[in-house]
Amino acid sequence: MTEWLFEILSEEIPSRMQPAAQAQLKELTEKALQKHGLPYESIRTFVTPRRLTLVVQGLPLKTPDRVEEKKGPKVDASQEAIEGFLKMVGVERKNCEILETSKGHFLNVKINQPGRRTEELLSQVSLSLLEKFRWPKSMYWDTEKVTWVRPIRGLLNIFNGNVVPLSYANLKSSNKTQGHRFLAPTPFAVQSFDEYQKKLRDHYVILDWQERRQLIQDGIRKIAENSKPCDDETLLDEVTGLVEWPVPLKGRVDEHFMNLPLEVITTPMRVHQRYFPFKDAQGQLAPYFGVVANVDSSDHGKTIVRGNERVLRARLADAQFFWEQDQKQPLEHFNIALKTRLFHQSLGSLFDKVERLVKLSTRIAEKGGVNKKLVERAALLSKADLASQMVNEFPELQGIMGRYYAENQKENIEVAQALEEQYWPKVSGGRVPESLPSLILAMADRLDTLVGFFAIDITPTGSKDPFALRRAGLSLIALALNPQVDLSMVEAMGWAYETYPWKELPVPQLKNKEETRADLWTFLLERFKFYLRDVQGSPYDHVDAVLGVAHANPRLFDLSLRVQALDQLMDGEDGQNLLVAYKRASNILKIEGEKDKRTYQGQVKEEALTAAEEKELFKNLSLKSPEIENLVKKGAFVKAVQDLATLRPFVDQFFDKVIVNTDEKNVRINRLHLLAYFRGVLHQIADFSKMEG
Amino acid sequence: MKTDFQTVILKLQEFWSQQGCVILQPYDAELGAGTFHPATTLKALGAQPWRAAYVQPSRRPADGRYGENPNRLYRHHQYQVILKPSPEDVQDVYLESLRYIGLNPTLHDIRFVEDDWESPTLGASGLGWEVWAAGQEITQFTYFQQVGGFPCEPVSVELTYGLERLIMSLQDIENVYDLAWNDPKGPSPMSYGDVAQQMEREFSAFSFEHVDASILFRHLEDAESMCAHLVSNKLVLPAYEYCLKASHLFNLLDARGVLSVTERTNMIGRVRTLAHQCCRLWMETSHD
Repeated sequence: MTEWLFEILSEEIPSRMQPAAQAQLKELTEKALQKHGLPYESIRTFVTPRRLTLVVQGLPLKTPDRVEEKKGPKVDASQEAIEGFLKMVGVERKNCEILETSKGHFLNVKINQPGRRTEELLSQVSLSLLEKFRWPKSMYWDTEKVTWVRPIRGLLNIFNGNVVPLSYANLKSSNKTQGHRFLAPTPFAVQSFDEYQKKLRDHYVILDWQERRQLIQDGIRKIAENSKPCDDETLLDEVTGLVEWPVPLKGRVDEHFMNLPLEVITTPMRVHQRYFPFKDAQGQLAPYFGVVANVDSSDHGKTIVRGNERVLRARLADAQFFWEQDQKQPLEHFNIALKTRLFHQSLGSLFDKVERLVKLSTRIAEKGGVNKKLVERAALLSKADLASQMVNEFPELQGIMGRYYAENQKENIEVAQALEEQYWPKVSGGRVPESLPSLILAMADRLDTLVGFFAIDITPTGSKDPFALRRAGLSLIALALNPQVDLSMVEAMGWAYETYPWKELPVPQLKNKEETRADLWTFLLERFKFYLRDVQGSPYDHVDAVLGVAHANPRLFDLSLRVQALDQLMDGEDGQNLLVAYKRASNILKIEGEKDKRTYQGQVKEEALTAAEEKELFKNLSLKSPEIENLVKKGAFVKAVQDLATLRPFVDQFFDKVIVNTDEKNVRINRLHLLAYFRGVLHQIADFSKMEG
Repeated sequence: MKTDFQTVILKLQEFWSQQGCVILQPYDAELGAGTFHPATTLKALGAQPWRAAYVQPSRRPADGRYGENPNRLYRHHQYQVILKPSPEDVQDVYLESLRYIGLNPTLHDIRFVEDDWESPTLGASGLGWEVWAAGQEITQFTYFQQVGGFPCEPVSVELTYGLERLIMSLQDIENVYDLAWNDPKGPSPMSYGDVAQQMEREFSAFSFEHVDASILFRHLEDAESMCAHLVSNKLVLPAYEYCLKASHLFNLLDARGVLSVTERTNMIGRVRTLAHQCCRLWMETSHD
C-alpha cells in the first residue's frame, strides 16, 4: 500500500493548541485530497510539542486519465472571440467539434487530461496545508513572510519513501527529521511511517499524544505509591503537550507549609508549576507532588527534583507571607484599594461595583424574603480579596481567599461561603450555589455586569466578547433556575439599571432603561433557548411555544417548568390529540375571523349553548379554567397539563357532533367564542400555535 | 565550574561576544527592563542587521521588599541579547550558552513553555516562551512582532536571562542574598547581600514611604514636554531617554499607589504615545 508521510518540525508549540491542531490537520488534508481528486484509505495525524505529523495510506500512484470538455463561442462568432478561445485551450480550429444546441452551433473541444503523478500533486497539497492552516495565534520569524505558531525548522515529506519536493519558509523538504532536543538531536532519515515512529522512539520521542498521556497518568499513579493523585484532566492534557519523553518524578512539599489552606498549596503547584498534587488514604493533601520531566537524566532526576522543590518552596514561602500579611487587617479594609481598580472605564471602579452590589442584592433579598443583613454583609465583602496580596499573586484564588479570610475573622458562615460561591457556576454546567445569600450575590453580580455593559451598548458581536458577557448570561440563567429566588428577570434588570449612578459616570452613549432591558432580555432568551434545547433536551417547538409567553412571565424557572410539563404532556396520546383539537379550533377561528374581518374573543353565553356536547365542553372548561389558572400561579405545571389533558374527550366530542358554522348567527358566534375560550385556557401554559403536529 | 554571579556574567559576555554581538554597557538611566534599552527597542526597528548583548540592572519599584524577601527585588539584573534577523539555530545557540555557563540542559530539564510578551507602555509585543530549568523560569525568549506600534521587519529575537534566578539555580541556593557575588574561595568573598541589600532596603523605603508624589507628577510632566520638544527637533536618542524617564516615573507613582484608575490608564497611554513618537522618528531618521 502507498504511504505519504509529512512532518512539520517546529520550535515548541503551545500545549493548549496541540489537540486542535491535530484535528485541523486531518480535516484540511481530507478536503485537500478530495479537491485534487485523490482517493485514500486512511488519514492519521499526530502532534508533539515540536512536530505536527500526517500519514496518509492507500493513495493511488497517479490520478486516472480523463477527458475535459470546453465549450467555446458560437461558430459564427467574431474572429477575435474564436481566436481567443483557441489560444486559451491551445487547440487548432480544425480539431474542434461542433456542438449543436437549441441556442445555436458552438465550438467544442475535448482535451485528454492524462492522470497526474500523485507525488507531484502531493507537493501542491502539502504546500496548501501549510498555507491554509490557522493557529489561534501565529507569528513571523523570517524574511519570507509566512506565518506559523512558532518558527518551522524542518519539513519531512515522503511518498513511498521518495522525497516530495516542497519549499516553504526558506526550507526544502527532505526525508530527515530529528528526535529529542537534548537526548538525541542528530537528524536521521526514514523511509516509512513505521520506521519514522520507531526511530523517533529510539530518539526519545513518543509520537502519539494519547500514548504519552497514558504514560504520564500511569507514571504519576505509580510514584504516588500509597497516596492518590488528584484527578485533573486539564492538567494531564497540558502536561502531555509539554513533553516528548515523559518521565514522572516525585518531589516533597516541606511539612511546615502543610498548614496553609489546600487551594493555596495546590494552586501554585498546578497552575504555575504543572505539578500533580496527591491525596493520602484519608483524602487529605499529601506532602508530595508529581512533576513530569522531559528527559531521562544521568542522575535519575535528582537535580530536577531538587530544582523543582526549591521553586515550590519559594512559591509557598511567598504564599505563607501573603497569608500572614493579608490577615493583619480586617477584610473590609481592602475595599479602599478597590477604588483604584477599574471595573470598566465607563462603569467605574470595583469599589463602585461593590457599592452597587450591596444595594442590588439587598433589593433582591427583600423581594425573596431572605435575611437582608447576611446578603448585605456578603456583598460588602464580595470583592475585598481582589485587593489582597494572595489574590494578586494567584488570581485563581479569588473568592476562595475571601472565604478563608472571612472565616478566620469569624464572619457568619453563610457570608463566608457567599464570598466563594458568588463566582459559581465556574464553568458551563458547573455547580450552582445552594445557600440563598450566595445565590443572590451571584445573581446580583451577573445582573450588574450584564445591565451595565448593555446600557453602554457593549454587547457580544460575532466572536468578540471581551467581557465574557455570553458566559455571564449563561451563568445568570443557571442561577435563576432556582425555585427559591424565582425573580422576574425584567424587573431585576430594572433594579440593576437603577442602581447605577449614571449621571456621575463618563458614558458616551447611554441607552435608557426600557431599551437596555429589552435588548438584554432578548439576549438572555437566546441563551435560554439554547439551554432548554441543548442542555434540558426539549424539542424546538416546545421551547418556542413556552418562550411565546415569556414576555408575560419573565421568570426563567417558571418557564423551564412549563417546557418540562409540555414535554410530558406531548409524550402521551392525550397531548397529541389535544394539540390536534387546538389546531382545529385555531384554524376555524382564523378562517372565520378572516371571513368576517373580526377576531372572535368574547364571553360565552351559557344560555345560547344548544347542543349537549357544547354544553358539556363549556361546563368542563369553566370548571377547569380557574383550577388551571391557580395551578399555573403556583407553578404546578405538571398538574396543570394533566388537567388540560382531561379536557380532551370533551373537545373531541364537540368536534365530532357539533357544527360550528350553523345558520343561526348567535349560536355560531357563541360556538366561536367557546373555541376561543378553549384556546385561551391552553395559552395559560404556552403558545400552542408554535407547536408542530 | 565557577558559578558566582560575576563569573557567570563574564561567561555570558564571552559567549555572546563570540556570536558576533556588540557587548554594550547598561543604559545609564533607570530602566524597568533590558528591553527598554535603545539598543533593543530602537534597534529592533528597521532593516539593518544588529546583534548586541549587555547586562541591564532593572528597577521594579513595586517588587521592592526591603531586602527581606528571598526572591523579590527592587532592582534585579537582566542579561539581554538581541539578534536581528533571528538566526535559524537560535534555540540551539541559546542552549549552548547555558552549557557554557555550566547548566546542563539534560540534568536541568530545560523546557520552552508558552509565554507571549507584551509591553503596553512600549506598544510592543512578541511570541515566545519562558524557558524553565527544573521548574524555574530562567529566561524570556521572544520573537518581536511589533515595537512602538510598528511591525518588526525583519523579526528580532530577544533573550532575557533573569540573572538572579538563573544563578540561584546554578548555585542551588534559596535566598538571593546568599548568592556568591564573586569567588567564595577568593581573598575577599562577597555575597549578593553584601553588595545589594542596603540598596534594596533604602529604595524600598523610598518607593513605598518617602516618594513625594507631587514632585514625581511634576517630573513626569517635564519629561513629557522635554520628550516632545526633542522629537520636534528630530533628536531621537535624547527624546527616547526622556520617554524612559517618564516610564520610570510612572512605575514609581504606580508602586506608591497614588494613581486612580483613570490616571493610571491615562498615564500608560501617555508613555506609549512618547514611545510611539520616538520609534516613528527613529524609522524616519535611521537610513538603512
